[in-house]
Order: sequence, then structure tokens, then C-alpha cells
Amino acid sequence: MNPPEVAAAPRTLILVGNPNVGKSVLFGALTGRYVTVSNYPGTTVEVTRGSAEIGGLRWQVLDTPGTNNLLPMSEDEQVTRDILLREPEYVCLQVCDAKNLRRGLLLASQLAEAGVPFALALNMADEAAARGFRIDAERLAGALGVDVVPTVAVQRSGLPQLQARIPAARASSFRPCYDEAIESALSELEPLIPEGRLSRRSLGLMLLSGDESIHPWIASRVSDAGRERIEEVRRTLASRYPESLRFVVARQRLGAVDRLHDQVVTRGKVSSGSAFARKLGAWATDPVKGIPILLLVLAVAYLFVGVFGAKTAVDFLENTIFYDRVVPWTEALLRFLVPAGPVQDFLVGPPGRAFRETDGFIIGRYGLVSMGLAYGMAIVLPIVATFFLAFSVLEDSGYLPRLAVMVNRVFKWMGLNGKAVLPMVLGLGCDTMATMTARIMETRKERVIVTLLLALGVPCSAQIAVIFAMLQGLSFAASIWFTAVIVLVLFLVGWLAARVIPGRGSDFVLELPPLRVPQFSNVIVKTLARMEWYLREALPLFVLGTLILWGLDRTHLLVLVERAAAPVVVGILQLPEQSASAFILGFLRRDYAAAGLFQIYQPYMSTGTMTRIMEIQVTVALVTVTLFIPCIANFLMILKERGWRTGLAISAFVLPFAVGVGATVNLLMRRYY
Amino acid sequence: MPAIVARQERCPLCGAGFDAEGQGCRPSCPLASGCRVICCPSCGYSFPQETGWAGRLKGWLERHREERR
Repeated sequence: MNPPEVAAAPRTLILVGNPNVGKSVLFGALTGRYVTVSNYPGTTVEVTRGSAEIGGLRWQVLDTPGTNNLLPMSEDEQVTRDILLREPEYVCLQVCDAKNLRRGLLLASQLAEAGVPFALALNMADEAAARGFRIDAERLAGALGVDVVPTVAVQRSGLPQLQARIPAARASSFRPCYDEAIESALSELEPLIPEGRLSRRSLGLMLLSGDESIHPWIASRVSDAGRERIEEVRRTLASRYPESLRFVVARQRLGAVDRLHDQVVTRGKVSSGSAFARKLGAWATDPVKGIPILLLVLAVAYLFVGVFGAKTAVDFLENTIFYDRVVPWTEALLRFLVPAGPVQDFLVGPPGRAFRETDGFIIGRYGLVSMGLAYGMAIVLPIVATFFLAFSVLEDSGYLPRLAVMVNRVFKWMGLNGKAVLPMVLGLGCDTMATMTARIMETRKERVIVTLLLALGVPCSAQIAVIFAMLQGLSFAASIWFTAVIVLVLFLVGWLAARVIPGRGSDFVLELPPLRVPQFSNVIVKTLARMEWYLREALPLFVLGTLILWGLDRTHLLVLVERAAAPVVVGILQLPEQSASAFILGFLRRDYAAAGLFQIYQPYMSTGTMTRIMEIQVTVALVTVTLFIPCIANFLMILKERGWRTGLAISAFVLPFAVGVGATVNLLMRRYY
Repeated sequence: MPAIVARQERCPLCGAGFDAEGQGCRPSCPLASGCRVICCPSCGYSFPQETGWAGRLKGWLERHREERR
């Protein structure tokens, strides 16, 4: 950083591009080491300036923060847009990732609409070629009406050609066309908008899309009457579409970009199957044709996770490996190593008694190995592993973003958009990780709603396994009661939360990667990474939870807590007294609670002697436990991601709400079931 | 502090390439110690970084692929 060395120059070159496309590497290659870094006025966003000699002339070069859109969604993006709006004379160099050309072209189309003179660097051209992408740069240059130069910035390849084209940078002739209503609104707006560095058409599109960050610039240049007219045009146009104008404009622009993309990009290795993949991809996003695809995906996932993972694998690991081998072998080893006496009793309980009847620290009712490790490794791990494997297949196939598009309308009703389906699906594996993935939502309001719904009604894979096992012992009608209540609660709470929680929603813009056959190696690596994460983050919590339970049991506090909970469990929910302890465990992990309930009713289920009252009790208990906070790890994650205030507010809502819904279901079922 | 390895990553959701440095969990998280979950700066999707066993397997697969070429 050496301010005096950055010479003032009559010509300005502004580097723009999506995040992480090699813009800064190219900036360094153009300017050398003399740069100044300063915050953009009024923000904490850094903008780097340097100078370069291009075509024998001195240029000032600006490196802007990475942006995906000239309609800003973040402070970084707003800084880039404002630089383009406010800088005096300049030309642009757009740097784009050749492997991800669609994203780059979306930005190029906006620079074209804005009338900004620019040249396009197709950076990382070598990696794109290695992956089988063939980009017809000449054809792209012809379609855009600007110079297009393939580069590899890290090797400085293509740099001289790029430098030669910069002085000749010109405005692009490419214009995405919108539907008649938008075009007509634009022609009404354009005369009202002042001439500036960005074209009137581009500013008109920003105003139609409801971009509030442009308002200060407009307010200082347009009269009150003009602004009122602009708002009137926008409101009239907005009333024509069920979706927001921002979404409509983005979708139509993306359509134009897709057509351009398809003209200039071919992909050698996948071209034979690409037509079918494209058709299948389009069906998967369709609200009607997508349903059979979704049902097929769910059925296969259920067979793999629900049947193979939750039954076959759990049964093998829990009974054959853990209770038949690991537990007795550990007990025998400890009895061999530690001489008989109080220490041995403390660790594994008195000899000759079944481990479930002792309070041993390692092997016992709440023993670290017999309960903590058995739960974490034998019951939850196989379900989590099969779920993550299925999830990785969906992730690698490109189906997940399409599912998000398909269900967008449903989630809109809950103040969310289609992206919310991703944390929800991931929540069926692990709510803790899914809570973290709620970051995918753009606004705080959306993140809070997703976190609330995850905590409230999305059962994790461990709990699903126990729920499935219990539902099999219930009548079909009771299973329908349970499912309907949970789905209804999710929708109702989502709908209410969308209206009660302050803030705004966001529009749904998600790039769709191509639909492809998942790569076996990718799937295995992704699954392994997630299992590693689970073992590092979640398993210690199982051990901690078991330690707490063991401590409560040894100090007889568990009995006291159970007694304290009895009025709620027996009085309000009308469940048998012994289920109170299952509910206490539910505060630690709700699958503990479900497993505890399973133990109470299993003898009746297996002999087919469940009475009507028992069926009601199981349904009420399952509803209440499902609506609990999933586990202590999830609670901590909510505090971390949403902050203490929101986290505690969510918990304060969820616990009484779960009991309230359980009590209501109890009353309704006793009358109508 | 998060145990994120500074290297180029690709988002499994939107396909954006990005530098993993600075994209990890916030250190204020009670669970962040050793956490390898990173967040895509383009679409916000979170996923665990493929390090450790997964990273070794990935490295082995890539070397194997190179040799076959």
C-alpha cells in the first residue's frame, strides 16, 4: 500500500465480476504492486485502486467487490453498483468464470442494459476446457457486441490480448427483451429518469424491481411528482403478477441469458444425454410434472433411509454389535482390569445383574458406553449415514435446487421462498446442521421462520426411525391424525410467523446447475465429510447428555424432576405416569423421548392388544414430542445462529406450544377418534 | 477457532467456486471449535469442508484419476 505511487490518470478502468472469479488476480496482473485500499465512502466495504499502463497510456484501475447482480442484495453489491452509477468517465472489464458462464452472462446482460462500455474476460478458461466446456468466444463476442478474451489470470495467459482490447471497450448491443407489460412500463418510466452513467432503461428496471437503494440518487434528481408517477407505474405493473416484480424481471432476464448461453456453450462429455437431462430438469421444476418425480425420490429415499438404515442397519449395529458384543465385552474387560469392590461397582454395577438394572458409570442404565455410545453409534449413526448418503446423491445430481423451484409457491405462503426446502430436507437428517443451513435464506425474517419450523415440526432421522416404528403399531387412522396434525401445525405456524415476525421476505433467485448422474466418488467424499462432522460435533453431545442423565439418576434428582413434570404429562396430556421420564429425556434429545415411549407401548403393539385409549395416548405423546426442540445441540445452534434473544424466544414458544397442541389433540381424539 | 483449510472450494448447490478462508463458522459459536462447516458466499449454502478422512479419500481419488490419465 503506497498511496503516492498511484498516479492520477485521465482514463479509468473498473473491474467487475461475480465473487471468486479471479478478479483480484487480474487486477494485480494489470497494476503491479502499487495500490491503495480504502473504504468506499459511508461503508466498511474496501475498494482497491491502482494504476496501470495499457496501450501506452496511463489508466486508473478500480477493483470492485464481487457482485452477482446490479440489483444489490448486500452492501458489497451496492458499492459495486454505486461505483458504476457515480464514477465519472470509465470503461469496465468484466471478469467471469468460464466454468460458470451463465452466472457471468447474467451480470454481462445487466452491464449491457446499463449501456456501460466493457470487455469480457473469460477467466479460468483452462479449467473450463478441462471440464469439457467449449465456449465459442467469437460467437459470444458477436452476440454481445463487445470483445471477449479467454484468460488464465494466474498464469497471465491472455493478458496481452486483453490489454489490447480494453481501450476499444464499447457498450454492448445485447438487450434482454421483457414481456409487453414490462416494456410498456419501461417506456413510460424512461422519460421521467435523468440521464446518468447508467442507462435510463437500466435504472427503470431497478426502480420497477423495487430497488430501494437507488432511491436517494433518484430523489436528488427527480421531482416529487415524477417520483409519484414512477411509483404509480410500478404499482400498476406489480398488480399484474402474482410474484414480485424483482422475481419476474430476473426470471425473464435469465431466460434471455439461458438462450445466449446455449448458443455459445457446448459440453463435450455430456452432450449426448444433455437433451434428456434438460427435459428431465425442466419437469423436476414443474409444479405438476415434478410431483411424480418428487414421489419417486421420496419413495427411494424412504426405502434406503427408513427401511435399510433405520431398521436393518440399526438392528444389526444395536443388537448384534453393541448389546451382544461391545457391552458384554467392555463389562468383562473392566471386571478383569478393576478388582472387585466399590470402584468396579461404580464403573459397571454389581456383578450378576443386567446392565439396564444397574447405575454403572460405563456400563449401566445411563452408562457412557451402554447408553451414550449405543445411542450415538448404533441407533443414530446408521440412520444419519444413510440419510447423508441419500442427500449427497440428491446434491450431486442437481435435483435439490429444482425441488426448491418446484415448491416455491407453497413456501411463499409461509413468508419464505423455495430455497427453504433445502434446510427442511436437511432437517430430516439432522436439525442441528439444517439450522446452520438456514443461512441460505436472504433475510433475517426468513432465517427466523426456517429455524422456528425446524425446531418445531421437522423430525430428524433418529426421531423418524422411532416414529416409523411406533406408527406401525398404530391404526391407519391414528397415523393420519399424527401426520395431519404435524403438517397442519407447520403450515399454520409458518403462515402466522410470516405475518407476526417483522422484516421482509426475499425473491427467489437460485441458479440451476445441470442435472447429471451423480459421481460415485463425489457422493462418498461428501457423505464421509458429513459423517466426520457428525462424529466430531454431535457424538460428544450424546456423551454429555448421558453424563447429565447419569448424574441426575445417581443424585435421585431424576425422580424429582419426573414428579414435577407429572402434572403436565398426566394432568394435561392424560398420559400414563411412567411416560413423564420419557418427556424429561425429550429435553435432551426428542428421539430419546420417542424411544422411551416406544419401550412403554411396545409389548402391546407386538401382541396387537393396543386399546383405543392407548392409540390416543401414543398419538398425543408423538405429536407433543415431535413439536419439542429437537435436542440440546440444536438448542445451542439456535442460540448461536439466531442470537440469545431470538433463540430463547423460539424455545419459550415451542415448549408450551408443543404441550398445548398435544392437549388439544387429546381432547379432539377422545371426542372424534 | 474454526478448522477451515484455506483453499478453493466449490459449492455443491450453486456450483460457485470460492476461497474457503473466512467462510467458516463464527468463533463465538459454542460448537465452533474444530468446526469445518463452510458457507458459500454466492448462495449461502452450508456444507462441511472435505478435510480429514474425507479429504484424504478425495486426494487419493484425485491422484488415482491423474495416474489413469
